[in-house]
Amino acid sequence: MASVAICNVGKSYGTLTAVRDASLTVNEGEFVVLLGPSGCGKTTTLRIVAGFVRPTQGRVLIGGEDVTDLAPRSRNIGMVFQNYALFPNMNVAENIAFGLRQKKVPRAAIEARVTELLELIQMPGRGSHPVMTLSGGQQQRVALARALAASPRVLLMDEPLGALDARLRETMQLELTAMQRRLGITTILVTHDQHEAMVLADRIVVIADGRIQQTGTSDELYRQPRNRFVAEFIGANNILPGRVGDIDGETIKVELRGGNALWAPIRRAPQRGETVDLAIRPQHVGLAAPGPGTGDVLTGQVAERRFLGNRVNYSVRLASDEILIAECPGDGNPLEPGTRVTVTLSVEHIHLFDSAGRALRDD
Amino acid sequence: MTTEAKLFERGVHPAARRLAARASARGGHFGIRWDWFLVPAVLISLGLLALPQGMFILLSFHADLGLGQVSLAFTIDNYVRVLTDPFYGHAFWLTLYLSVAAAGIGLLVGFPAAYALARIGGWIASSLISLILTTSLVTVVVKLMGLNLILEPTGMINRALLALHLVRNPVQMLNDQTGVLIGLVQYTLPMTIVLLFGVVQTIPVSLEEAAATLGASNATIYRKIILPNSRAGLIATGLIAFNMSMGAFTSAVLLGGGRVLTMPVLIQQTIIQNTDYAKGAALSTVLVAFVFLINLSIGAVFAARGRKAAPDAG
Repeated sequence: MASVAICNVGKSYGTLTAVRDASLTVNEGEFVVLLGPSGCGKTTTLRIVAGFVRPTQGRVLIGGEDVTDLAPRSRNIGMVFQNYALFPNMNVAENIAFGLRQKKVPRAAIEARVTELLELIQMPGRGSHPVMTLSGGQQQRVALARALAASPRVLLMDEPLGALDARLRETMQLELTAMQRRLGITTILVTHDQHEAMVLADRIVVIADGRIQQTGTSDELYRQPRNRFVAEFIGANNILPGRVGDIDGETIKVELRGGNALWAPIRRAPQRGETVDLAIRPQHVGLAAPGPGTGDVLTGQVAERRFLGNRVNYSVRLASDEILIAECPGDGNPLEPGTRVTVTLSVEHIHLFDSAGRALRDD
Repeated sequence: MTTEAKLFERGVHPAARRLAARASARGGHFGIRWDWFLVPAVLISLGLLALPQGMFILLSFHADLGLGQVSLAFTIDNYVRVLTDPFYGHAFWLTLYLSVAAAGIGLLVGFPAAYALARIGGWIASSLISLILTTSLVTVVVKLMGLNLILEPTGMINRALLALHLVRNPVQMLNDQTGVLIGLVQYTLPMTIVLLFGVVQTIPVSLEEAAATLGASNATIYRKIILPNSRAGLIATGLIAFNMSMGAFTSAVLLGGGRVLTMPVLIQQTIIQNTDYAKGAALSTVLVAFVFLINLSIGAVFAARGRKAAPDAG
């Protein structure tokens, strides 16, 4: 086991920059997930750690040792690829044993280790099977066993569950976390699936546009997004554009389109008149029948209703013609499309972002 | 939904399969009987290939009377002569040797080239592959005359060797086996590279990367990953190059100067110059049968090894 440190790493291909000045420390035994949309640079970052891509700047450290100039074969890492990359000319046991053979481990020790790993991946006695006849989930397990066989310092995984169907993926996610906890191996996994990231990771690194947007536990990313991208990428969020009105210490008045305004807490005071984006999650939007109207209440009309079992999603068209998604418990009184409603946004759950997308709650 | 219905829906139920098979035979898509589209090609193949070959085989079992005439009596005399005369035996071994050598050199030179092209990829690889394909469409006569120019005693290669004082006298490359071998390599190499390019493309780079993370050196990756996974393609490509060389006539004639008597050259001479149709037919039947047998037995060996490598299920 070892820690991994990426220090100011950058990679550009001519004028194209894949990774910009990324710094990240993965602690011993930690499970870190690199999360981002496709083409964001997360796979390039992983491949820099593996040694397949040479960074144009910065250093990579594994267990405190600078491995930037080391070939992949000398880095003592285990890697699981998106398409598993099992060797079709070898059976299950030979695939798992491949790394041990390279290390000239004695035959008896190899056999013992392969047996142990077959147990670990719940495929005991399947060593003589050709790999190409295995199901996707089994191939995935064999790939994992092969990567772990030689007890690498770090486990790297590039969208390892991407090729599995939804149901199997969920099972494998649970197995993977359990196995990672048990072995305590430092793990870096790349995915574009935020749900998967939240299930697996001790810490998530959100990457977009070649840049690390935010690093934190799924809780932190969800509750305290540092910028608009993270707010929209982790979980659903309504975004309403507005303008800064009065500022009163740690709260500001946000004037929304359509003449409504509300007071929201901030950490960093913006300029009066500056445009801001207000983000609120669907479950923090309340809908009620119109009461005796005070001026500052948002009103709208239910445009669409989607029943999702334990909850109901409403699309509400506001007076300003903007669409807001509200998520209500499924057992409440259903609101039919066309119903006029008042909309309440719970102020403590509001996030404000300045015109550059940075959170105003952030220092 | 019952299991049965689920199976049926996915098209894997036996009944569903039967239905689908019937539908496709009876004109599945758009109700068209696709099988009828095969008829013209089958007729042409039968008329232009199978029929003359059959006639040839028939001819080979009758005694030659000269001028293209054969006797009516059945005889295996032609075969006895062809198979016992050391002259033909020599020609046969020469053809075999040249073809094996050409196929071997082709694989040795072609595989690294194909590997490089497949891994470089992009526009460089596709333009080089199309260049190889276009040059292989140039008639072999033109290409061989070009070879003549550089291989002859006063040609480019010999002048260079002499100028560098590497040899005292011009090296004989034309009108002997060396020339023919060079011609055969030139003839088969483009096809070899193009076919192997396709083979290497089916091996994902991630296999090599996986092996590298597991500590394998480049040599090990080549030996344990790339070669074994290219084996079927290498054998098939080698066989195709071998078959092309076994039947190559132009290179043997134009670069061998009539002195390198390979089987195709002998067959042509026997039939056209000696008008001994029956013996020529016997020679070509032996050649075709031998080549066919080699392909068949290599295929069989390969299939058997494949079965052995397959699982003892359980």
